[in-house]
Amino acid sequence: MSGHHIIPMKFLLGTAGALFVLTALTVAVHYIHIPAPFNIIVAIGIAVLKASLVAMFFMGLFWDKKINTIALMLSVVFFVLMVGVTMLDTMFRDKPFGIYDKAPAPPATTSAAP
Amino acid sequence: MTNTTKPVAIREFPVEEFPETHYLNATKGLKSWMLTLDHKRIGLMYLASVIFFFFVGGLLALALRLELWEPAQNFMDAETYNRVFTLHGAVMIFLFIIPSIPAALGNIFLPVMLGAKDVAFPRLNLASFYIYLGGAMFTLYSMAHGGIDTGWTFYTPYSTNSGSAVISMTFGVFIMGFSSILTGVNFITTVHKMRAPGQTWGKLPLFVWSLYATGVIQVLATPVLAITLLLLIMERTLGIGIFDPALGGDPVLFQHFFWFYSHPAVYIMIVPGFGIISELISTFSRKVIFGYWAVALSSLAIAFIGFLVWGHHMFTSGQSELSTVVFSFLTFFVGLPTGIKIMNWVATMYRGSIWLATPMLYAIEFLFLFTIGGLTGIMLGALSVDIHLHDTYYVVAHFHYVMMGGTVFAFLGGLHYWWPKFTGKMYNETLAKIASVILFIGFNMTFLPQFVMGSQGMPRRYFGYLEQFQTLHQYSTVGSWILGVGFLLVAYYLIVSLVKGAKAPSNPWGGRSLEWMTSSPMPAHNFEHVPVVIHGPYDHHQPIAEFRMGIDAPHHDTTHA
Amino acid sequence: MSHTDSMSANAHVQHHFVDSEQQFDSAKLGMWLFLVTEVLFFGGLFVAYIVYRAWNPELFTLAATQLDTVMGGINTLVLIGSSLTMALAIRYAQLNDAKKSFWMLGATIAAALVFMVIKYFEYTHKFHLGIFPGEAYTFTGIDHPKAHIFFSIYYMMTGLHGIHVLIGIGLIGWLMVKTKRGAFSAEYYTPVEITGLYWHLVDLIWIFLFPLLYLID
Ligand SMILES: [Cu+2]
Repeated sequence: MSGHHIIPMKFLLGTAGALFVLTALTVAVHYIHIPAPFNIIVAIGIAVLKASLVAMFFMGLFWDKKINTIALMLSVVFFVLMVGVTMLDTMFRDKPFGIYDKAPAPPATTSAAP
Repeated sequence: MTNTTKPVAIREFPVEEFPETHYLNATKGLKSWMLTLDHKRIGLMYLASVIFFFFVGGLLALALRLELWEPAQNFMDAETYNRVFTLHGAVMIFLFIIPSIPAALGNIFLPVMLGAKDVAFPRLNLASFYIYLGGAMFTLYSMAHGGIDTGWTFYTPYSTNSGSAVISMTFGVFIMGFSSILTGVNFITTVHKMRAPGQTWGKLPLFVWSLYATGVIQVLATPVLAITLLLLIMERTLGIGIFDPALGGDPVLFQHFFWFYSHPAVYIMIVPGFGIISELISTFSRKVIFGYWAVALSSLAIAFIGFLVWGHHMFTSGQSELSTVVFSFLTFFVGLPTGIKIMNWVATMYRGSIWLATPMLYAIEFLFLFTIGGLTGIMLGALSVDIHLHDTYYVVAHFHYVMMGGTVFAFLGGLHYWWPKFTGKMYNETLAKIASVILFIGFNMTFLPQFVMGSQGMPRRYFGYLEQFQTLHQYSTVGSWILGVGFLLVAYYLIVSLVKGAKAPSNPWGGRSLEWMTSSPMPAHNFEHVPVVIHGPYDHHQPIAEFRMGIDAPHHDTTHA
Repeated sequence: MSHTDSMSANAHVQHHFVDSEQQFDSAKLGMWLFLVTEVLFFGGLFVAYIVYRAWNPELFTLAATQLDTVMGGINTLVLIGSSLTMALAIRYAQLNDAKKSFWMLGATIAAALVFMVIKYFEYTHKFHLGIFPGEAYTFTGIDHPKAHIFFSIYYMMTGLHGIHVLIGIGLIGWLMVKTKRGAFSAEYYTPVEITGLYWHLVDLIWIFLFPLLYLID
């Protein structure tokens, strides 16, 4: 398939419809107050789904050359790496392993140096 | 579009030697240069600019070394010293080394090596040059308005309240980031879409592979620098408090942001140099490169792993112990693809018929210097060792061995290798070899003592020092003068060659990649035909005529209507 | 396509490309690579957001109550609608229907302007309360020492996004002029296509900003 694909009307309208519904859903979910970790997961999950719809059907990646999809995925992968690796620091600042103070304490009573 | 596939005749196109018209004189006048869309002319303008800024940065370095002749104040005060080393770093990194190989030499040779008439987006290419100049203007402006004393790393919180011209400087770097991004976008697209018939991924010259990997890093990392500097500017103007601890922010977060760009940026600086070395070693050993795919893909591997190791700059910053351990561990992995390259270059030279021309001399010097730079990098990546060596002259010596001994020597090698091609003139080979040896001696004399000083505890960026370091500092300063003499000699014979050098043949070194299959200097559209690639770029065992195949260029009468 | 009419149809092909197809594919890949840089550009802000939210979850719950979910929600719908009209503008350009393409571009700009007007009311309302970015922050309604950092992040993210909307308005306005002049056709509509990609990315970023800023509980 070439990049010149003319996207069928039903895909465009269907995508827009799905996006409207998902927006309503994400607001509705907000008001029913899902408990702590799951509310973020649901909100991000819906956002990812919406973003995928936009990328696949509005931006035409579904029909397009694969390299363009690879480019977008690369940006997502490197963003996730940036977040993940940064959080190895920010989430563990106050959890030392004690690697700096593992030096054995000098024995209290030792014989003098030979 | 073409559903009438006419049979095309592939034939040999002999190269026209010493052409009367070429890209340098195809059109005349200042305007034809200022508004040119020709990648070769844009590359030349970049080349002139980066050499100018290398000269500026070099003078700053000589001033620093002279000041360090004595332990106490010599001829500049501490305030000035801070500004000069910051400017030396910023000019060398953002104005010289990042654009040096890709935007100058890469611009000139990438399309030619692919057999294309130009890069994919010639207008963006010209725009990137002017954006670069605009960023440079901001740098000069901040120099004139008090300079900046934060070091090129702009660490918060000092950069948020230092009285110097931080905003204009960071804004200049922000602008230059866009120039770098445009170059990266242009090169990736060009490699994907503009290859000549037969120029498959497996036949790309390794310089092209290295520029491709560099482009990937430029596209993925540079935007993060842009947002970091924008946040820093906002921190200074509005006090947004994300990085400033006085406002509840976290300065270590700034370091994460900064090094997420700046560690991969080290590979923006060195990977194109690897590409040049691959070209040089194969051409001057008259042998096919050992392990083509290993060398090509190791560039991409470096590009990827390079994004996961930034925290090795932050072992003493107060980041969590978990991340110091993880970053130290991951840093060792960068050594693998780099080691693969070194091994493959040496294996290529093994039993080759080595011609020790000036470019090859630089390549061999590169192998020495870069290996030292790389191995000391492994030591600095080791957590326990780095705690001792962090922010000492050991680090200064390490990154100069990588950046200068690596990239600058590769850049000089490439410059001498392709000089006959893009200027059409030969330089004085004897003087060139002498200069190369002088640079090698001067370089080692400048930076070897710094390893010793650093391991003995001499901190970097210090204006004064203990008297015990004076001898080593003086060795280093004398070395910097030798380096200066070497560079002056290089400038001398290159200028002489432009004025009265012998005319260069199309293929003075017996290279096999496409740039040697067209005239010196190249015609305005690189080739008078459409090249067709049959053999790999290092197949020295194949007859040279088979590297000059092509088909007649289609007429483009309709395009200029 | 016969040879005779390809003469005029290829007038847009620049000399360094072999054919229209190569030029189109290159422009599109170039635009996608630019969008990659945009993702990572905003990505930096998202990292700051995530780090601070992980450090201060209670702050984000508190501060989000100052954001108007209704206005944010309407803006989300407006941007989705504008993405639809943009996609339709490309479709009509591909179908050689310049007139409809022109009107769809106009509708996209109209939606973008609505978005900016709503944003304007949101901003001015906050300024009225003393919710400014950075040190100018004087609002006392949120009892948290780092409340100003949340709003700094909020203003950086939505402000940068707003600047992208304004740039998009400029680009689409330029497309309208070119469309009016008959510059685009089924053979050549590359600027419409790649501006569309840009516009969808602006929408895409808002799709994440909306739940992350407005819908925290
Ligand atoms: Cu590093």
